Amino acid sequence: MQQHQMLNKPDGTEQPAVKLEDVKKVIGGKPIIKGLSFDIYPGEVFGFLGPNGAGKTTTIRMIVGLMRITEGNIYIHGKSVKSHFKDAIRHVGAIVENPEMYKFLTGYQNLIHYSRMVKDISRERINDIVELVGLKDRINDKVKTYSLGMRQRLGLAQALLHSPSVLILDEPTNGLDPAGIREIRHYIRRLAEEEGLAVIVSSHLLSEMELMCDRIGIIQNGKLVGVQNVHDFVQGDSQRPIRFSVDDGDQAAQIIRETLDFEVINHDNDIVEIQLDTEQIPIVVEILVEKGIKLYGIISAAKTLEDKFLEVTGGRDIV
Amino acid sequence: MSSFFQLIQNENMKIYRKGANRIMVLMLLGLIIAGGLIIKFSGPDNTDAHKGNWKQELVQDNKDMEKQLKEMPAQSQTYFKKEIAINKYRIAHNLPPAQGENIWGFVKDMIGLIMVISIFTIIVVGTSISSEFNWGTIKLLLIRPVSRTSVIFAKYISSLMFAIGMLILLGIVSWLVGGILFGFADISQPFLQYTDGKVTETSWVMYVLKQYGLNCVQLIMMATLAGAIAAIFRNGALSIGLTIFLMMAGSTITAFLAKYDWVKYVLFANMDLSQYLNGTPLNDDMTLGFSVIVLVVYYVIFMIFGWLFFTKRDIAA
Ligand SMILES: Nc1ncnc2c1ncn2[C@@H]1O[C@H](COP(=O)(O)OP(=O)(O)O)[C@@H](O)[C@H]1O
Ligand SMILES: [Mg+2]
Repeated sequence: MQQHQMLNKPDGTEQPAVKLEDVKKVIGGKPIIKGLSFDIYPGEVFGFLGPNGAGKTTTIRMIVGLMRITEGNIYIHGKSVKSHFKDAIRHVGAIVENPEMYKFLTGYQNLIHYSRMVKDISRERINDIVELVGLKDRINDKVKTYSLGMRQRLGLAQALLHSPSVLILDEPTNGLDPAGIREIRHYIRRLAEEEGLAVIVSSHLLSEMELMCDRIGIIQNGKLVGVQNVHDFVQGDSQRPIRFSVDDGDQAAQIIRETLDFEVINHDNDIVEIQLDTEQIPIVVEILVEKGIKLYGIISAAKTLEDKFLEVTGGRDIV
Repeated sequence: MSSFFQLIQNENMKIYRKGANRIMVLMLLGLIIAGGLIIKFSGPDNTDAHKGNWKQELVQDNKDMEKQLKEMPAQSQTYFKKEIAINKYRIAHNLPPAQGENIWGFVKDMIGLIMVISIFTIIVVGTSISSEFNWGTIKLLLIRPVSRTSVIFAKYISSLMFAIGMLILLGIVSWLVGGILFGFADISQPFLQYTDGKVTETSWVMYVLKQYGLNCVQLIMMATLAGAIAAIFRNGALSIGLTIFLMMAGSTITAFLAKYDWVKYVLFANMDLSQYLNGTPLNDDMTLGFSVIVLVVYYVIFMIFGWLFFTKRDIAA
């Protein structure tokens, strides 16, 4: 497997694994994708978030060459999908929508089938992949006997068979139970972090994306309306409102104002809300305890990722 | 990247691992055996040979046929003329006719099953292409470093390989069943061929191969049409249904259009090349060369349309 530099934040010098350049798609005279541009770097999990019908699948179909790009271009490791399809697609493993396999074949026969379409995949490689996705016991059963979760695993196996450096998964958690979702998330993180894959995951559920992505691009009506760095956000040490539940909020507010130079945003008889960064929280706690205020709880009233997305999307519902 | 041979292997795996296609192979075998048994137990008994008298019988037959010949219109006479000529040849060269069915007669009777093989091939090629779309597997099939052209050709070639396999099976099994049921005694008998008013001897093997070849024209044209329709509309039922319908209705359509001069450009008017070997073509200005050109033109059109639609259209399934 190709080793990539581990990079979560593109520094501008590395070649993107996937590059979309003002990509447009018109179907039947109707613009579906209206000029998408973004780069995805090795080692990064890029979330492609948007409501149903936003154009996620259409974009993915263009990346993997199932649909023609009406305008613009898509490059995979610098190779255009339009003009150098074989060289570009060689690096890509994908599941587009559901992982549909040949049901009358066994899981193993399905993998043999896809292995014949690329160069030099050994039986050992197939066995390793089967082991990796945890299908060893059932791989010689016909796919029609598989549960959705097992089909998803087999889908992942066919996508990873040829050791791609770009993995594209369209709504990979659709129809999976929470344990299955956690497992997929775990795989994806591991592939990006340990093997340096560039991963594109689409979803219409923000809660899922938050947990597995490094960056999230929001698509609405065929347009990218914002790209958020999840990492920055979660670890962000900027000031945010912290809410303290206390026995006497008004008194607490007075104490803070008198003794510390922090901004009290809000208070009433049982809460006090103060603009703080993480390091300042213990200082406040200490003072309040010293002055005999009973402290019942501390909540970071920070804007959630969801708030931020709502902001980006102009308050329209995205999930 | 991956060799074309491996794509063929994939398609073969998908054809032969599919239950419905395996049943087709069994059905062909069943039809041959059933045909043999029906002929064996319902046909005339071939053991009551009156071997000494066969020459007199043929002379008598010929007299009867010549009498009838005088009363019939000219265009219906060919068959009787042929029978009379062959009978005369048998008498002259001391070649007794088969009593009832024999091994070669059975192989000849089973040539009709090539129609069944054509239908099976239409089904195989139609489903091979369309079911990838129905199942959604096309999305995983076409995101490999393989051109769409190779994928569709692998499907086409593997379907024709299925047809060839079925034809070989038909030939060998009908010969074996014929031999087992009617005896291998007549194996070395010559085939009497009637062309241009003359009778010549050829081997039965040559005759059978020629008939297979002539029937393959229809098989290939119809399989190619089915493939093209499947690639254009991505719909198996349409591809299979329409092609089988056209194949069945082909001769009726031709007869219906026979009064127009342009009927000679209709595919179905040109698919039966035996019309040039047995005498009367449908239309006076039709020749073997003409028909071959018409067939090639249709073939190329089917191929180009199927290929264009398969390789250029978006996969939105
Ligand atoms: N083949 C097609 N013909 C017409 N419209 C289509 C086609 N495919 C997708 N669309 C339209 O494009 C939009 C985006 O669809 P899609 O990419 O599937 O969205 P998502 O995957 O984000 O749910 C939808 O409005 C859909 O109706
Ligand atoms: Mg979708």
